[in-house]
Amino acid sequence: MVELQKTFRERLVDFTFYCKERQFMLSPQQTREAFEISRRGFMLDRKLFHYSLKSIYCTRKEHFDRFDEMFDRFWSRYYNELLEPRDIKVKPKKKKSTSSSVIFLGAEFNIPQKEEKKETKQTKGANQTVRLRMTDFSKVDVEDKQKLEELAEELFHQMSMRFKRRLKSAKMGRIDVRRTIRKNVPRGGVMLDLAYRKKRKEKRKVVFLLDISGSMDTYSFYLLKYILVLKRYFKTLEFFTFSTELTHITPMLRENNESEILKQIGSEVTTWSSGTKIGDCLTTFLSDYGSKFLSQKHIVVILSDGLETGNVTQLKEAVRTIRRKCKTLVWLNPLKGMEGYQPIQKGMVNVMPHLDAFESAHNLDSLMKLEKLLMDV
Amino acid sequence: MNKEISDLVQDFFEHDYILSEELATAIFLLENLEKPLLLEGSPGVGKTMVAQTLAQHLNTDLIRLQCYEGLDVNTTIYEWNYQKQLLHMNLFEKENDRKALGKKIFGMEYILKRPLLESISAEKPVVLLIDEIDRADEEFEAYLLELLSDFQISIPELGTVKAVSKPLVILTSNRTRELSDALRRRCLYHWVEYPSKEKEIEIIHKKLPRIDQDLAEQVVVFIHNLRKSSLNKPPGIAESLDWAKTLLLLNAHHITDDIIQNTIGCVLKHQDDIDFVRNKTVQEFLYPID
Repeated sequence: MVELQKTFRERLVDFTFYCKERQFMLSPQQTREAFEISRRGFMLDRKLFHYSLKSIYCTRKEHFDRFDEMFDRFWSRYYNELLEPRDIKVKPKKKKSTSSSVIFLGAEFNIPQKEEKKETKQTKGANQTVRLRMTDFSKVDVEDKQKLEELAEELFHQMSMRFKRRLKSAKMGRIDVRRTIRKNVPRGGVMLDLAYRKKRKEKRKVVFLLDISGSMDTYSFYLLKYILVLKRYFKTLEFFTFSTELTHITPMLRENNESEILKQIGSEVTTWSSGTKIGDCLTTFLSDYGSKFLSQKHIVVILSDGLETGNVTQLKEAVRTIRRKCKTLVWLNPLKGMEGYQPIQKGMVNVMPHLDAFESAHNLDSLMKLEKLLMDV
Repeated sequence: MNKEISDLVQDFFEHDYILSEELATAIFLLENLEKPLLLEGSPGVGKTMVAQTLAQHLNTDLIRLQCYEGLDVNTTIYEWNYQKQLLHMNLFEKENDRKALGKKIFGMEYILKRPLLESISAEKPVVLLIDEIDRADEEFEAYLLELLSDFQISIPELGTVKAVSKPLVILTSNRTRELSDALRRRCLYHWVEYPSKEKEIEIIHKKLPRIDQDLAEQVVVFIHNLRKSSLNKPPGIAESLDWAKTLLLLNAHHITDDIIQNTIGCVLKHQDDIDFVRNKTVQEFLYPID
């Protein structure tokens, strides 16, 4: 066993807080284990300490992917000082980020690595989380972007767990006579255990239509991530993007790896940041996919700011037809989050009477509130 | 590299498994912190093989629980041996002390041990592999929590059964669904990636010593390029080995278009993927893309 110095103990606790701030789910148990391996002398060998902490602190692939960069940033100076004489200035090694973020439409969602100063100033905790949840996606500064992405990932993960639990069907139902008899054969035919049969609860079917025109640039990335989380919990989720053209994205969603999907969508959809012809695109949707993806079992969610540059009458007609053919029509408009916003643009004025719900989708908080809306319909 | 870790890597190598230093550290902690290890990764990257090799390395038994939807206590932990209980009741029907009779038929000797109970009852620590946990239901995950954190199982009629020896538990998941945070928190974690080209060539040489260096390289470059294409099911290490073995059997020295046409079924298991490859020339997959 090795006697741990006070400075090392403090540094390890700081690192734990740093990880928590980067959305790692750590309990006192993990901290105890980190101290235990340190006392066993693992901290004397940088690689061993690095890999051991990685195993203990990471619980998901997303954490695993960003741990190396975090460890290097936090511990480089400590290990360099251990190895080098004190009077030699040690330059912290700059490492490229290994984050899985993607560049969309020229807007970079990865942060330049200028965060050495953060090493000791990690005290914002819960307040920062609340602030980030309320921040409009379009107003996030460069410093906060990575943190917001990590927070979004964590919140979406928690939401997906809640979805899964609620969609689970109960075990009680009608007694299944055949299975009851079969189940009780080992008990000499005495009916001790009853088997139940219940009609499987049908998962909802949902169609997402995401506006990727220039005016939606700052929102599209987060909305896209949100949709990717939801795709796992609906029996059928169909996903389209539109700006001047409609693109069917669903075939690209079969990949299991989310960052791969994002890359593929980023490279294969060519109409990012172009103009907005909502009416045109919705008419194409109706004629090409309407018969397949519109029924009284479908929820249609349109994510757009409604700034139509095309024919407004066509938009109105398309929305009216979609509403008639589906179960629920929801319009999510990021502009609704702006103070004093009124849906007075031509496009929005014409579609408002046909909507079942009109909600904002401008920050993480508003996206989390949609969970209830999607579950209740 | 730390001596104990390098010994572990060496020993695994002798058992035909090439360990990375990172994974070796996770296994080392599994043994030392007595905490389960959760391995996640794409299918075919060798997660199950880790548990098998660990059992060989420790010269102990491997108890494997293959998960599926609908898995319950009766198939994983224990079940009462009803026939034996009924027989006992019939034999001692006339016994006056009913209470003693009741107590007797709910004893350990009337229990059929299933893998989880068996693993904590073994005299010597065994390796317990809970394979593809993502296929099981959430309820089963909840059953596991007690075992994973305290190495004990509660049986309502008997009370708590504590582990005679703590098993080394490895859970694997292909990430077809998210596991609960409660389960994750109780485990060490490692994400198993596809191996690098060099490592995969080494694996092929280790498993198939007779293979020609050029052919092994071609197989690996081809497979790596396939993994970069967006396929329904990218090939894993098992597929690389199967294909290399097939090429050896066919006495092939190079991969040609004909060979692809005839043997691609060893590598790809989806018709769409097979069509995708057949519509291209072999050269398109033999240039290293890095």
